[in-house]
Amino acid sequence: MPRYLLKRLAFALVTLWAVVTVTFFLARMAPGGPFDGERRMPPQVEANLRAAYHLDEPPLAQYLRYLTMLARGDLGPSFRQKDFSVNELVAKGLPVSLAIGGFALLLALALGISAGTWAALKRDGRRDRIAVGLATLALAFPPIVVAPTLVLIFAVWLGWLPAGGIDGAWHFVLPVVALSLPYAAAFTRLMRGSVAEVLARPHMLTARAKGLPPLRIVMRHALPSALLPVVSFAGPAAAALLAGSMVVEEVFSLPGLGRYFVQGALNRDYTLVTGTVIVYAALVLASNLLADIVLARLDPRIGRA
Amino acid sequence: MRMLALCRMACEGFACLHLKRNVVALALLFVGASFSVSAAERDGAETGSDELRIGNGGEPLTLDPHRYNLNLEEKILTDLFEGLTTHDADGRVVGGVAHRWQTSADGLTWTFELREDARWSDGAPLTAEDFVFAFQRLLNPNTAASLAFFLYAIDGAKEVNAGEKPPASLGVEALGDHVLRIRLAEPFPFLAERLTYPTGFPVPKHVVGRLGDDWVKPGNMVSNGAFVLEAWQPHGFVRARKNPHFHAAESVRLAKVTYFPTADRSAAYNRYRNDELHIIGDFPPGEIGWLRQRMPNHLHLSPLLSMMYLVFNVTETPFDDPRVRRALALAIDRQLLVGKVLQSGEVHSASFVPPMVANYQSAVESEPTDPATAIVLLAEAGYNESRPLRVTLRYIAGADNKKVQVAIAAMWKAIGVETTLHHAELNAHFAALRQGDFQVAQAGWFGENNPEHYLDLLMSSTGDVNYGRFADAETDALMAQAKATAQVEERLTLLRWAEAAALQHHPVVPLYAVSVRSLVNPRVVGWRANVRNVHPARYMSLRLVSTAPETP
Repeated sequence: MPRYLLKRLAFALVTLWAVVTVTFFLARMAPGGPFDGERRMPPQVEANLRAAYHLDEPPLAQYLRYLTMLARGDLGPSFRQKDFSVNELVAKGLPVSLAIGGFALLLALALGISAGTWAALKRDGRRDRIAVGLATLALAFPPIVVAPTLVLIFAVWLGWLPAGGIDGAWHFVLPVVALSLPYAAAFTRLMRGSVAEVLARPHMLTARAKGLPPLRIVMRHALPSALLPVVSFAGPAAAALLAGSMVVEEVFSLPGLGRYFVQGALNRDYTLVTGTVIVYAALVLASNLLADIVLARLDPRIGRA
Repeated sequence: MRMLALCRMACEGFACLHLKRNVVALALLFVGASFSVSAAERDGAETGSDELRIGNGGEPLTLDPHRYNLNLEEKILTDLFEGLTTHDADGRVVGGVAHRWQTSADGLTWTFELREDARWSDGAPLTAEDFVFAFQRLLNPNTAASLAFFLYAIDGAKEVNAGEKPPASLGVEALGDHVLRIRLAEPFPFLAERLTYPTGFPVPKHVVGRLGDDWVKPGNMVSNGAFVLEAWQPHGFVRARKNPHFHAAESVRLAKVTYFPTADRSAAYNRYRNDELHIIGDFPPGEIGWLRQRMPNHLHLSPLLSMMYLVFNVTETPFDDPRVRRALALAIDRQLLVGKVLQSGEVHSASFVPPMVANYQSAVESEPTDPATAIVLLAEAGYNESRPLRVTLRYIAGADNKKVQVAIAAMWKAIGVETTLHHAELNAHFAALRQGDFQVAQAGWFGENNPEHYLDLLMSSTGDVNYGRFADAETDALMAQAKATAQVEERLTLLRWAEAAALQHHPVVPLYAVSVRSLVNPRVVGWRANVRNVHPARYMSLRLVSTAPETP
């Protein structure tokens, strides 16, 4: 198990380095620069600005300087958000993204596991069809459609919930729901198939024959094995939820990392773009690693392989 | 509360279901819990009514008055700081930290008397020395202030900014604690207005000296305006609280002002409609009819000191030929653009100087739309049905801009011109224009209540913001003569002649002054529409009675 983990960790670090390198050069290849604006500044001022951010050095020197900074845990100064360093911006934006993504993941898991199990218990019955139908519907509508619709109904028409911003817990409700629905749907379908498959196994028949109550059969004997595919999907799903809330953050004007990334890219804020991509990549790698660990715990065969 | 009750019912209902379903009930309880927190917090949030919530159109990139570059930053900075001069609620220039000033007969020396009760938000006295420090810092090339050129009128400013002279050689000096003298390189009668921009704001020498660039962070920032920075969550909000040391603090009614970076105008509009924001400066243009009918007391359309125009690249064919430029200008019906296409209170103008600029009567006569003459002119230039003129019109991406450019292309089609439309986002658009990479393009200029601010764009020495590279000896000579004249009337006359001289060559087609579409909650008192679109929060307050916006 430790060797297996070390291997996974080494692989994650190499992936992270590749991501840093590609992002560093791709960002600089985009047309335009961080100091382009409607008006032109005097050449002396522009030269001073470029020197301050080391943009006057050759690309390779800039890259090495950046790697050295990264090794110290410094993501550099933001080129456009002049009053903050990228570290400070990440420290302010990441908790927002993590909170929304985290709650969305919990909601998706809670809804998905319960609805999937509920549907599988009466396979091809009416409630199965309802659950599967709703799940398909939720999968078909991405957050970019669902989010503005939720705003229109619950904020503009009904006035129950805020349309955007973060001024308290109630501001999180609509974004979390919008973000979690497709994942809840995916979890439902996975869980339904998995539970149905486990319920058909011979040891379930044995359990029923021994007269165990139905709830105990499901909770104690079916769920642990049925959860395996859900857990292996939860890793990438967690990464996508924590990192992939750009659309939802834009629609609900939430100050998360997704907005930094979008604004950073539009403004050619090289350090901010590279910094947010690194944080995202680290999140993806960490959640995959976590899923690997959980899987290895649930199914001992994996760790030994 | 409605929401809370509903959630409880739902949760209790599900809790009664068969045991097998308790997983579902648990999941719903989770949702219910988050709803009940939200409802309670929301009720609390509605009680505080002395916080003004403004949709500010985007995220500020800095709150350092010397490094700022955006109008939305200017709005926050104007509440946090006060310059020698400032604006009143109607956008007129009035005394700020300076309560009196005199100009020498040659227009080159300005002496400002500072208020003796002016203080920083930490209670330290604000002196003329703070202004000297600020102006030197602005023009120091190490500050890299992109708008440093706003104060190039000051003697030595250009040289200091180019690194040719030390900052100490700048023509600004303190004559005691409360008198500041500014020497100019050439007469500039509009200096009082120019000093209302954040580039003219003081910065606290005693704090900047100690903290360096970190002075601007929440918790560190010390300012001298009606409000002081309290918190800044990037892409979330900027919050300022009342500054008790402000010289007119007793007249400031609001306890807090929060600026939200509402970059998406649909999202801003939804938040306004949901009573989350008191003021927004823009909304989706398609909503205007509905708003006129249903929320007329919220809606304000006010023309802005600005000029939207088309600019021709006069260095390349076909627009090096003045007949072609005139033909395209003659084909455009401005009244139609403003009255039928935009319909939001824009003001059409044949003059390159916005019609609402004070004390300026343009000498440019508005020529009526004349497609017949346009066709003749094009024929003279060698373009006809068998050899049509083909042009590419560049514009800034956006629904309003697109409507206008499509209409212009249609007007040009009527005289046989084939137009290709090409759009780009704002920065890319202006980068292309500065490089001269265009044939004909949409451009805009915003700002001051003085004609020079606009006419400078037509001088050959202006550099690359004279996008079309227009150069006319007569225009240049008249502009130079105007700039050397201290007497305002005479200066304005010379500017009128310069404008007429330039526009007879049609380097640009002035179109209209844009309109600001604001929504202001009727609870807000003291917000007044004005051509500068300045609305300092120190003049505003909130009525206690809650009047939520109507819903359909």
